[in-house]
Amino acid sequence: MTETITIIIDGQDYQVPRGMNLVDAAKMHGVDIPVFCHHPKLEPVGMCRMCLVELGSLAVNRETGQPERDENGQPVVRWFPKLQTACTQEASPGMAVRTDSAAVAQARYNVLEFLLTSHPLDCPICDKGGECPLQELTMAYGPGQSRFIYDDKMHLAKQIPLGDLICLDRERCIQCARCIRFCDEIVGDEVLAFHERGRRLQIITISDPPFDTKFSGNTTDICPVGALTTVDFRFGARPWELDEVASICPHCPVGCNISASTRLDRDFGGRKMIKRIMPRQNEAVNEIWICDKGRFGHHHSRSEERLTQPMIRRDEEWVPITWETAYREIAAQLARHGRESGFLAGASLSNEDLWELRKLARLTHADCSLGVWPATMGGIEQVTQVGVGVGTRLQDLGPDSAILVIASDLDEEAPIWWLQVKQAADRGAKVVAANGRATKLDQYATVALRYPYGEAVAALNSFAVIARRSNAIDEAFVAARAEGFAEFDASLKGARVPKPYAEAAQALLGAKDLVVFVGGEGVTLAQHGELMQAAANLLILTGHAGRANNGLIPVWPGANMQGALDMGFGPQATHDLIAQRPAMWIIAEADPVAEDARMAEVLVGAEFVALATQFMTPTAEKAHVLLPVQSFAEREGTFTNGLRRVQRFYMAQTPLEGTLPAWKVFAHISSSMPGGAKPRIAPGLVMRDITQHVLRYAEMSYPNLAHVEPQFPLVGGEDMYYGGTAYSNHGGLGVQWATNAEKEKYSLAVRPVDVARPRLDGLAVVPVRLLYDREPLFAPSSIMHQRVPAPYVELNVRDAEALGIAEGDAVMLTADDVQMAAEARVNSHAPAGTVLVPQRLGATPIPATLVECVVQKMEG
Amino acid sequence: MNLVRGFVTTFKHVLEGPVTIQYPEQERPLRERFKGRHALKRYDNGLEKCIGCALCAAACPADAIWVEAAENTDEERYSPGERYAKTYEINMLRCIFCGYCEDACPTEAIVLEHEYRLSFSDRRDAIYVKAMLLDPLPPGVEGTPRRTEPGQFTRSIPVMENPK
Amino acid sequence: MPGAWLLADAKDPHRNGVLKTMTHILLRNRDIADIWQFDTYVANGGYDALKRAVNDLSPDEVIQIVSAANLRGRGGAGFPTGRKWSFIPKDAPVKYVTVNADESEPGTFKDRELLEKNPHQVIEGALIAAYAIQATAVYIYCRGEFWDLALALEERIEEARQANLAGEDILGSGWSCPVYVHLGAGAYICGEESALLNSVQGVLGQPRVRPPFPAQVGGGLYYAPTVVNNVETLANAPWIILNGADAYKAIGTPESPGPKIFCMSGHVERPGNYELPLGITFRELIYDQAGGIPNGKKLKGILPSGASGPVLRATEEVLDAPLTYESVAALGSTLGSASFILMDEDTDMVWAAAKMTHFFRHESCGKCTPCREGTYWLDTIYERILRGEGTARDLELLEKVPQQIMGLVLCALGDFACNPVLSTVRQFRDEYEQYIGLAEPVAAEA
Repeated sequence: MTETITIIIDGQDYQVPRGMNLVDAAKMHGVDIPVFCHHPKLEPVGMCRMCLVELGSLAVNRETGQPERDENGQPVVRWFPKLQTACTQEASPGMAVRTDSAAVAQARYNVLEFLLTSHPLDCPICDKGGECPLQELTMAYGPGQSRFIYDDKMHLAKQIPLGDLICLDRERCIQCARCIRFCDEIVGDEVLAFHERGRRLQIITISDPPFDTKFSGNTTDICPVGALTTVDFRFGARPWELDEVASICPHCPVGCNISASTRLDRDFGGRKMIKRIMPRQNEAVNEIWICDKGRFGHHHSRSEERLTQPMIRRDEEWVPITWETAYREIAAQLARHGRESGFLAGASLSNEDLWELRKLARLTHADCSLGVWPATMGGIEQVTQVGVGVGTRLQDLGPDSAILVIASDLDEEAPIWWLQVKQAADRGAKVVAANGRATKLDQYATVALRYPYGEAVAALNSFAVIARRSNAIDEAFVAARAEGFAEFDASLKGARVPKPYAEAAQALLGAKDLVVFVGGEGVTLAQHGELMQAAANLLILTGHAGRANNGLIPVWPGANMQGALDMGFGPQATHDLIAQRPAMWIIAEADPVAEDARMAEVLVGAEFVALATQFMTPTAEKAHVLLPVQSFAEREGTFTNGLRRVQRFYMAQTPLEGTLPAWKVFAHISSSMPGGAKPRIAPGLVMRDITQHVLRYAEMSYPNLAHVEPQFPLVGGEDMYYGGTAYSNHGGLGVQWATNAEKEKYSLAVRPVDVARPRLDGLAVVPVRLLYDREPLFAPSSIMHQRVPAPYVELNVRDAEALGIAEGDAVMLTADDVQMAAEARVNSHAPAGTVLVPQRLGATPIPATLVECVVQKMEG
Repeated sequence: MNLVRGFVTTFKHVLEGPVTIQYPEQERPLRERFKGRHALKRYDNGLEKCIGCALCAAACPADAIWVEAAENTDEERYSPGERYAKTYEINMLRCIFCGYCEDACPTEAIVLEHEYRLSFSDRRDAIYVKAMLLDPLPPGVEGTPRRTEPGQFTRSIPVMENPK
Repeated sequence: MPGAWLLADAKDPHRNGVLKTMTHILLRNRDIADIWQFDTYVANGGYDALKRAVNDLSPDEVIQIVSAANLRGRGGAGFPTGRKWSFIPKDAPVKYVTVNADESEPGTFKDRELLEKNPHQVIEGALIAAYAIQATAVYIYCRGEFWDLALALEERIEEARQANLAGEDILGSGWSCPVYVHLGAGAYICGEESALLNSVQGVLGQPRVRPPFPAQVGGGLYYAPTVVNNVETLANAPWIILNGADAYKAIGTPESPGPKIFCMSGHVERPGNYELPLGITFRELIYDQAGGIPNGKKLKGILPSGASGPVLRATEEVLDAPLTYESVAALGSTLGSASFILMDEDTDMVWAAAKMTHFFRHESCGKCTPCREGTYWLDTIYERILRGEGTARDLELLEKVPQQIMGLVLCALGDFACNPVLSTVRQFRDEYEQYIGLAEPVAAEA
């Protein structure tokens, strides 16, 4: 930690970290220095002048070097003649500040009076009214009356759509530039700017499409007035009517802590509904940011399309049945099929759901396969060994850190991780972005490494080769912990490393901290295991394991893939199941039919398929019994994020009548089986079972997960300088489980990886993930529809020329048994010989990774 | 002596008229500031004064008011500003007629008027919805919602008066 | 020639007889018609100073000479130039000299004449500064309206480059320093040094928070240490290098040495630029040099530094005061860039202050609250007063609002905007009261 120094605030001595921003340092000790433009996550600019304080320094006697003292023995302070902005000062020894003098009070009063001269004072209808820093600070420090003539107010445009998600009110804007600075400094998307000058200074969007960033919603949180509001929430409720419910975003492996602002609402039949999603501070996960998918993608929980009635298929007709009938039917089928039953869990089930599903499977037969969907990424062994250390905070990665992102487009798959990696790069961390194609991270990367798709394992393995050759191996760590080093070392000898790989590897070596993000793009499941092992090899070899800010982060698909793997579900089991074609299936919160062309036929061939789902998906159409389960918003549970942090979410919305949480459904089925126990009554009790049976979850009791500690910077408190009332985290910070690397007793396996590159003839399909797609949990958020493109495939210019395909042509892609129609995008984004196919844009499944395909132009 | 004084008092009162009146045949005249059932006011042009800010609901000590707001458009305009009350309900069984809502209202949209004959045979009937609370339209004026010219209503709330 | 110059004598600065015989140091175009041409400039000793500096002097020696000469910045603040140069860290790999030719103070037109008629002297001065700090490039930032001048300036720079006086390996010394011209988009605030640097960088022309100062790493152009000097300041440098600090200090007064170009405009018989030594009096400048006030009117108000300095009431005390940075400050105004706007007895001071306020409202960049909102507020008050609707409350606000701006703003523009308001309200209150009276009902004649 940084050195602690003493500064004097209002005559009191305070201990603060050296170099800390003075506003934050004062706030840390409960001294308010009000601000508008300053934000602890942004660079100070000193624009609003609200934080003016009297600043001075302790007078030091030049001869003795001792602080001078007056006749009363008090230290003498030399004050600046003018007030200074506190936000542009860094705490330094001998600094003295007065925040309570008449001059300071007058300055605050003046600034507020000035700000209000232009303000429309439409608080009664303003979405920010009630949680507005300008309101709060005016009440605390401002004038009760204005000397400004109301008729002289400058009238400016209101309700300007700044993109399709955010609305700008020019009259309310106080030109603090927080929104511009957030986009420029933190996101790096230069989409907002100031236009004009003086009193006409105003925010405009300079991108096309307007406000083109995935993080636009955050600007409404940090806006200190109601100038930026979201179209989604517009006039939805007054802030004081809202109950904040802690939750976890169900859309990606980051596991952003969110706060669901809820209220009873006529729009939802007088029941409690989510009016908006706000970020909740968790400095180890999402800090105070969330992406627009998380913010605006909450509509599925109360969609009209939700299933609310258990149903059974009789003569191709769906017949409503009671839950009891459904339980008995499924229990009877399970008893009948026994080990001929397959279990498939989706990546958005909670840990409790997964545990009860697993219990049900074990009750059915000890050998039942527990598959996970999507089954594209494995590597739980490697995560268990060298996953990032407990206490990792991506925001701590800095100049002496290195980050490798391989086979993932973080920007689309896990936007907040992308944001944090980008910021780490800004702070000087070495970033290697390795993928088969260009991604947005490239522009911030130290090295943007392009490898041919299929060669990811070889590329990553060569990093270990280079580490070996350049003596970057942590000998002591390897000697103490590594297992199988000799054999692995032998495999490295004589390996040929292309120059680009070597250069990329060099950029990473020598860093104090190393984090490796491993995705699954362009990698088959078999290769993915090898890729994870290659990453583990590198981390173990260089000693970057077993401590915070070091280790492996898998970029899983879905919010709780980590939890599914922890509960014993696995991707290989899924492939086994597809091969074995069991007669009986229990599928939970997964839509394999929409994603895999084989699955429709597999399920049609099955005798009995029970599906727990929220929507009538293509898979549901192949099922025999449908179990309407609840969304993340309607129940309690836990998700485990990609950093293995188990986090609680709470019940935000009145459950739809007729639905049940998945864990309860599975528990009831179990209890209908011979030998089944009575269901638990609450998810906390299910978690207690988990803590007793799953070793790594031993610490994950609900009280532990709900534990909160003060976090810095202090945002979201009563004073509300920083906007975002929902920032306060009362729901828990979550707990990470420790990897083997962190426990001395375990040795860590290194082994040679299979670097063989699959033979690719013709055009190979590379499925890619897009943030904005049509997956069932996101599709009901109609506000986002304009961001979701029609199904398309990306072709390299050269391939397209050879096939006679031009940009915008309708094409038919054929591979194996898959046929999909899409629009062609011709560019140099897709490497020659590959077709990039975004997942979940259309209704039809897309081909699997790296299969050969034919693309034909469709006539007419 | 005291006895006589007592009788005098009694006889004095016997000669005075009764205090009670025969309601409903007779009605007592109301004071000007009597606080009876609420009314939602309109401007002279028929637009609603209520902007759906829910400050009345916030001020209500009995939690009797329920407001849900929505946005005006030029095609469908209820009030002059950006926002109007999509749902406006007062539960008259809860209301204590304190008039705080009237004080809280920034647009003088809600006024406690002189109607006090409120009786219900069903609890549901005690919930007055917006249509019941709104003042009738002035004669010859178009009702709400109505279509208005773009650019006619550009302020977020009706312009307030100068501080004097 | 230095001999022809008035020698400084702080005790007796009135030397009218000598003043008339002087030649020019800065406006040499007045003496030599086509000195803008490279050949003429060189034939008249041009670039000798640069050659001397590069060939014979070390960078430190150049800074020493300029420091000894006590050359003070001519852009307005009067900061000692040598000290400014000495702040530049020696070990920084990239350093810049930026010439502030964003001459946008109302009533200032000296830099224009220098750049138009004697451009090589400015380029030479800039290169001397660049040599002194071992800069890697010189940027001349011209205001947007100087586009014609900027085009011509590029030709002049090219001439210097071809003579190996600018660009690569200057005079065979191994030191390279290209000179670029950058055209602004026309904003008063870009004359403020940090806003100017932003503008050169292509971002919004708004002042930066200081520290870091331009001379420090992180504060200058492209965040490298940078010297920002006014055109006129740099035009002094060649003469100082050639003639030495002592000769320079012999001109003007010890605290404010050297020649200064005074821009005379407003109610004056002979408007224009006057190059005179600092230390002459207001009276000498206005009456002896510029011919006094037209039509025999009396002088009422003097703006010694354009719109940004306080107005001085033309009292005898003021007229007899010497024009030095210190003495004008003592009078309650500032010498600034010495752009004199004179106002005769018939001038409506309220109207004049309203014009200036309107200017500052228009030019406020909007970055910091008091200036953005305060200038707007002041302007609306003036509009109301000029409409005849002003009240006593407005007059009170004209005194109070500036106090809420001064000293609380990010850059000096906010302070400047208050000067015309406060100085006129205080010194010409009677005129304001006449306006305020308009709103009062007129009492019927008895």
